Amino acid sequence: MNLKIFSPKDFPAYLPKLNSLYDDLFAGGKGFRSKLVQMVSNPLGLPSETQQLLCQTIEFVHNASLLHDDLIDRSQLRRGKPAAWAKYTPEYAVLAGDYLLARVMVNLSSFGNIKLVQFTSETISDLLEGEWLQDSVVGDFFVSLEQLDRIHNLKTASLFKWCLRAPFMAAGNNDVELHRTLDEMGTILGQLFQRSDDLLDYDIRNDEGKAILGDLKSGYLNSFGAFVTRNMNRAQIDQMVKSSDLNEYYQCFAGGEKEFQEYVAKFDAVNEKMIQLYDHHLVQLEAKIQKPELVKSLKPLTEILYWRRKPKA
Amino acid sequence: MSTMNLDSPEETVTFEIVEKSSIKRPSVFSTFFALIKFQNLFLILLPLFYVLVKNYVDNRFRDPGTCMIASLGMLFIFAALNIRNDVNDHMSGYDRVNITHTAKPINKGWITADSASNISWILTMIATLIAVPVMYRQPEEARVIAVVTVLIFAGRLLSKNSYKNQRWGEVIFFILAGPGVISGYQVALGAGVDTEGLAFGVLWAWGIQFLVHLNNFSHILTSSQAGIKNTMTNAGFDKAKKILIGWWCAFIVLWVLYHYFYASTFWSYLTTAILIFWSIPTFIKISETSSPLGSDLAEAKQVGYRTFLLMCVLIVIEFYWYLGNKNDWFI
Repeated sequence: MNLKIFSPKDFPAYLPKLNSLYDDLFAGGKGFRSKLVQMVSNPLGLPSETQQLLCQTIEFVHNASLLHDDLIDRSQLRRGKPAAWAKYTPEYAVLAGDYLLARVMVNLSSFGNIKLVQFTSETISDLLEGEWLQDSVVGDFFVSLEQLDRIHNLKTASLFKWCLRAPFMAAGNNDVELHRTLDEMGTILGQLFQRSDDLLDYDIRNDEGKAILGDLKSGYLNSFGAFVTRNMNRAQIDQMVKSSDLNEYYQCFAGGEKEFQEYVAKFDAVNEKMIQLYDHHLVQLEAKIQKPELVKSLKPLTEILYWRRKPKA
Repeated sequence: MSTMNLDSPEETVTFEIVEKSSIKRPSVFSTFFALIKFQNLFLILLPLFYVLVKNYVDNRFRDPGTCMIASLGMLFIFAALNIRNDVNDHMSGYDRVNITHTAKPINKGWITADSASNISWILTMIATLIAVPVMYRQPEEARVIAVVTVLIFAGRLLSKNSYKNQRWGEVIFFILAGPGVISGYQVALGAGVDTEGLAFGVLWAWGIQFLVHLNNFSHILTSSQAGIKNTMTNAGFDKAKKILIGWWCAFIVLWVLYHYFYASTFWSYLTTAILIFWSIPTFIKISETSSPLGSDLAEAKQVGYRTFLLMCVLIVIEFYWYLGNKNDWFI
């Protein structure tokens, strides 16, 4: 599926560097969100053109946020390549992000589903609020997990909610109860994805080779960090902030690495409860929509997103 | 339990079902003290101390017995209103949105909302019974009670959540917490309402309202998302900080005015200087708060609360001095 071009007016060739910037941006992504949209759209029998529009929408919104996010964080690399702002100038990165969001509105409004347009606009708004709030807590090493959950609900979970709900909206199913369940499932998936991503920072299930303690060094206490610091005193937190590698980080705990691993196990146990809740919502969903194939395909998502392993066959 | 979308069509509340036996409950006394917010009792006891000392010094200590009975009634109505407030916060979902470190017995499952509501009614009835002999001994008290009752019910009718979270509710709360309490004590003591007492009532209410604003400020994001209206959410994060600082500055001005008219020069200068000195960290902390969500908010609340407590300590020392002077304790 060509996500880049939905309308012939997408990405005019006369704009310098525009197409090469987008080619770079879309080349390395896994396209997980668009796959999720397809996963929901297929059992609903949505036409392929509608599916393409939905997939493009979510990938454009996601990539727009990456373009802006990399510039805000001054991240030099994105998916192993130079970030757009570093390669093409910050000005082009900002404009390219804005342009993606504008194309989303142009293409989506032409579809004629006002509820979907409104929902997408709210999702973008939530995403930006989340980014804004996250930026405001940089340097705050006493932020609580509950507070970070609120940020992640806006920043990360909003897109997962969209992936689950938008295909139903496009199919004309606006049942309030159904969307409430989907919303809750999207929240859980987003939180799990974010928490798993935050664990990579501590080299837990880090098969992607993400930079170790990157968040902490940027002054951002992520969800696992907040989970751990709940029981730390000020001196321990000060020591933790100064850690330059994992060995130094382990020294913040009285029991060293062993105690750190115990925290990881406790964190996993907390998230396992969230997974149980997700499974509970799946049962509710099946009762509401009578589409066992959809429920079956959504079931392994927690395995993929949190545990980062392929689901058992 | 938690919710992130209170008052929206998609509101979802997540419950965790646990074994009843796994809920750790403190003792009945601890639950009761948490329910009536025992730690906040000083908010009505300090005005009582003020009224007793002021009228003793002014030789208007006419009916201490009735005043003591009225104070007992005040304790019961204070406890009843605090419990009612918690019940309303629970029913509206406010306590699920604005999570605080203060123990909330209903939210924690120590007591059901229904039982708490019943306790609140019982305490209200006891307070009403206590009011009867007070009104018999001091008929003027009936007027004060009537005004206060009307204001409480008006506040309930106006409010959606609890009336400290509505703009008009804030005005009602202001009148009740300051001039209302002072007038009640004054009349019960047989001293009648006077301008000095009312001036102190305004000063006191201004201070308490600062605490209310500070508390609302610490929940500004979650309250705004839940559509809760109060001065802080209406102002927004940046303006709210200015309002808080301005509010406490105005408090200091009121403090100076009160002391200029009704206190000795020595205490005016001394307490004002200490108060200003202690207020500086509060101003700095509030103005430096950079996020509507992080730990800064809790710290700002703590610093502001400490400044308020210091102000209370200053009042106690100052009035203890007046009391001692009257009885020649310091000679």
